[in-house]
Amino acid sequence: MLLFKDLMWFFKLEKKSYGMGILVLVVVALINLFPPYVVRVIVDGVDKENLSQAILLKWSLLLLGAGLLIYGLRYVWRLMIFGASCRLGRLLRKQLFEHFTRLSPRFYQEHRTGDLMAHATNDIHAIEMTAGVGVLTFVDSLTTGSLVIFSMAFFISWKLTLITLLPMPLMAWSTSYYGGLLHKRFHKAQAAFSDLNDKVLENISGVRVVKAFGEEEAEKESFRTLSTDVVEKNMAVAKVDALFDPTIQLIIGISFFLTIAFGAKEVVNESLTFGQLTQFTIYLGQFIWPMLAFGWLFNILERGRASYDRVNMLLKIKYEVFEREGVTDRIPSGEVTYQRASFTYPGTTQPILKEIDVGVNSGQTLGIVGKTGSGKTTLFRLLMREFDLSEGDLRIGGLSIYDVTLGALRSAIGYVPQEHFLFSTSIAENIAFGKPEATLEEIQAVANVAAIHGDILRFEEKYNTLVGDRGVTLSGGQKQRISIARALLLDPEILILDDSLSAVDAKTEKAILRGLKEKRTQKTTLISSHRLSAIEHADLIIVLHNGMITERGSHAELMTSSGWYASTYRGQQLESLIEEGGV
Amino acid sequence: MVIRRLLNYLKPHYKALSIASLILLIATFADVIGPILVKIFLDRHLVPRSFDRRALVLLGGGYLGLHILSVGLHYYQLVSFNQIALKVIQQLRVDVFSHVQGLGLVVFDKTPTGALVSRITNDTEAIKELFVGVLVALAQNFVFLIGIFIAMFSLDVRLATFCLVLLPTFLCLIYGYRKVSTKVYRTVRKELSRLNTKLNESIQGMNIVQAMRQEERFREEFATINNAYYRAAITNIRLESLFVRPAVDLIYTFALILVLNFFGVQSLNGPIQIGVLYAFINYLDRFFEPINMMMQRLSQFQQSLVAAERVFELLDDDRLTKEVNATGSPLILDGQIEFKDVSFSYDGSVDGAADVLKTISFTAYPGQTVALVGHTGSGKSTVANLLMRFYPVTRGEILIDGEALADFSDQELRSKVGLVAQDPFLFVGDISKNIALSRAGVNEKTIREAAEFVQADEFIRKLPQGFQEPMGERGATLSSGQRQLICFARTMAGKPKILVLDEATASVDTETEEAIQSALGKMRKGRTTIAIAHRLSTIQDANLILVLHSGRIVERGTHTELLLKEGLYHKMFMMQQGSLA
Repeated sequence: MLLFKDLMWFFKLEKKSYGMGILVLVVVALINLFPPYVVRVIVDGVDKENLSQAILLKWSLLLLGAGLLIYGLRYVWRLMIFGASCRLGRLLRKQLFEHFTRLSPRFYQEHRTGDLMAHATNDIHAIEMTAGVGVLTFVDSLTTGSLVIFSMAFFISWKLTLITLLPMPLMAWSTSYYGGLLHKRFHKAQAAFSDLNDKVLENISGVRVVKAFGEEEAEKESFRTLSTDVVEKNMAVAKVDALFDPTIQLIIGISFFLTIAFGAKEVVNESLTFGQLTQFTIYLGQFIWPMLAFGWLFNILERGRASYDRVNMLLKIKYEVFEREGVTDRIPSGEVTYQRASFTYPGTTQPILKEIDVGVNSGQTLGIVGKTGSGKTTLFRLLMREFDLSEGDLRIGGLSIYDVTLGALRSAIGYVPQEHFLFSTSIAENIAFGKPEATLEEIQAVANVAAIHGDILRFEEKYNTLVGDRGVTLSGGQKQRISIARALLLDPEILILDDSLSAVDAKTEKAILRGLKEKRTQKTTLISSHRLSAIEHADLIIVLHNGMITERGSHAELMTSSGWYASTYRGQQLESLIEEGGV
Repeated sequence: MVIRRLLNYLKPHYKALSIASLILLIATFADVIGPILVKIFLDRHLVPRSFDRRALVLLGGGYLGLHILSVGLHYYQLVSFNQIALKVIQQLRVDVFSHVQGLGLVVFDKTPTGALVSRITNDTEAIKELFVGVLVALAQNFVFLIGIFIAMFSLDVRLATFCLVLLPTFLCLIYGYRKVSTKVYRTVRKELSRLNTKLNESIQGMNIVQAMRQEERFREEFATINNAYYRAAITNIRLESLFVRPAVDLIYTFALILVLNFFGVQSLNGPIQIGVLYAFINYLDRFFEPINMMMQRLSQFQQSLVAAERVFELLDDDRLTKEVNATGSPLILDGQIEFKDVSFSYDGSVDGAADVLKTISFTAYPGQTVALVGHTGSGKSTVANLLMRFYPVTRGEILIDGEALADFSDQELRSKVGLVAQDPFLFVGDISKNIALSRAGVNEKTIREAAEFVQADEFIRKLPQGFQEPMGERGATLSSGQRQLICFARTMAGKPKILVLDEATASVDTETEEAIQSALGKMRKGRTTIAIAHRLSTIQDANLILVLHSGRIVERGTHTELLLKEGLYHKMFMMQQGSLA
């Protein structure tokens, strides 16, 4: 029930729909009392032999009217209540999505896509259920239940009502008892199923070993055993689950029996008519549903509660990067300086970058190399303000990046990430991602610079080719080059290539670097790479090791000192020779 | 078509099924009798006010007795039907799983693991709903409806005939609903899948979205899809409101009017039995519950059918590995391996464009080690894959002891050719079990010998439970080198004639490196070995080293010969020396 309180803000927001829906629901419950009354009148008429054609017609028409009215009203409340619950789903999804767009990359590192998806779909669905079916069940079973009891007691016979309802507590007790039992067994069944799932996963991922050792038969046997276990655990569930219906049936049957037995006595005493007795039994039939529904309601509420808590927890996560007061939204120029920049990831103690001091002027290229984990990517992420520096400052165009709005800062930067991610739209739309209004000429021009134009023309649909599941499968190198074109289209003051030439061959790499040089004469370019050939041409190269700059200088300077750079460069040249077949 | 195939799975259970159905029939019969007894009570006793004690006790006792009987039988039949359904699903699962075991590696290469797992477990689970929920409910409700009609006919033929008219009305309703709903339902599914795709993509690409400041656009796009989904959901609600529960209740009202008028008009012409009226009204009430149930199960039914289609699609996949019978199979005695002009492409094309191996020829004499080196993608692992018969050889020949590879029985090949794969794969279960697997000839003694032979016993004994130490989650508690040693022991426990080492030293940690090197040396002794090497230092003593580049052997010879050539091998060797320094 607590969940209803939590959702009160929404009920208030939709008070018209809910108010109207609940009102109509109550009206329907009231009208529902009418048909049994008509039955009573007719039965009494037949019994007392005072029925006439006119009476019959009148009541039939009334009944017909009531039926049609209920049909119409039910349509109305469903639309009101279920419609409102759908709007709740829509609203929560919207809120969650907008929240997602504001969360920093750290959030996405800590949460798996699958889990986030589950929150946005399954959990919201469960909340929707609570706001729809939950509210309905609650209101309907309460009103129908009390109205039916009320009518039975006040319009027919309170004594008979009491007697009839005698077995009902037994029903409530047994269903709740079964519920507890079911809960435990259900968990075991789930566990058995999960074991089965793990077995299949193991088998499929180890298929080579299975085949190499001829383990197929043993695997089948072990799968058979596990699936038998699933059957057994599910049978244990079924044995309890199957108790519900018969138990309810049993108790309702006893109630009916009591009704007829004691009702007959009343009829003999003439304190009850035949019609009333019939009416009473129909009411009794109407009472079954609220009893059933209540047990069901708790189930819905329990699930809704857990889901609502999970979604709320997500919504409460704070955005990690804030803007200072009174910052400028002028897009800064391309001069970048790291001033004694240090950084430690939040929640860790090991610093990733230590007192980095390096700068480039507009129009220059900075090359950053170093082993995996040396801090290359972090350097870029700080510049884009995915994280904030722990110490020191980072200046761009003469301003601290903290004195510029996020929007202006990111407008100045074109980023090509390590993991190239493309959206499942057309190639053109992917390239024009940051500038949807770009013309095809503009798109083709940057595709040319990124050396992907030729590849695109080979696709049947050219630039309209879809990317992803429903379209072509692109190679890693093609994806990287599209990512580069995507960033180039923005013509940013600062272009960041975060190891984004790793999957293209040496020849293409050269072509792209040449293109960049021609196109970006007055603009800054930052390149990190494992392959040193990609940064050979840079105005300044720094070597990062454990978050510190260990070597710096131009390619020529670094080659003369016999450090990591020089030895790695020679090693890589040999390697590329081998890849080309040694010739 | 799919339904018929599913129903075929019921065949082995026809006995249990008939018993359960019989019980269901009796229970339903007992159910239906109840109102008739009430009718007798009303007409014979209450109306004429004749209360014969004995008759009343008989009636009352009969009613209660029948009721309890019916409740008990209902429980029994529910449990039985569930059991049958669960067994059917188990059979289906075992069938799919067994079928998958026989599929060629091509299928595994091309199908994501998750998709295969999902077919075998989740989709079959969805079909379970069909059997447990839908079919059982349909059968029960169907029997119940028939029972009610029989009872109605026995009470009043004319009125029962009137009520029969209700059935076509329902059929029309169901037909109409299905017709309209499939379209609406499809729209809802489509919009939902668009919503999920958008969400998934946005979450995965959020850093790009943010870096390029497209948040606003994405919010709008998402809102559009979100709205479309909402509209589809509302249409669905409207449809269900018009066709399902409210409609069935409306028909109930019509039926009630019909019954009341029938009796009312009759009563104008003469006295009627009031008990019959009671019974009819009572039946009418019960009549509508099953109808409502069936209507509600319809959409579930459709989902299950889709799942079943996917399962059968996998069952019908005929890319099976060819099984070779043990009878007449040649034996591997010496272990001489010969590749003759072998070319191969994974996609099965023969025009040479996609070939990963191009006319490979070499011979490994008994007891010798042949090493294959080359950079990633040069085709060395394919040589191992072909020798293990993971893929059929179509161009060229592979011979073992002079006999074609394809002629050996699975049994012979797998017991004589031992593979050590790059990724040390452990099963859930203890170490003993992981070394032994299900092989008949492997006992406690062989397990220990094998472990000692590869020097794995040392660290195994240090584990809290020794050989009985359970390996959860792919042996995550062990280092990769330790896992590899267990895999070595597994291979050696089968006492193979031929060893295939597919980059067996790739996952080695410094602690176990030495143990692994010496184990490998011992393993190779006296066995023909095909070693695919990642690190050249591990194969310097090989009798023959083949250097592969783009699927061709570009250099061949011993370590010294190749170094003298100063070709590709020499460069690779220099490079690895350099990076080690």
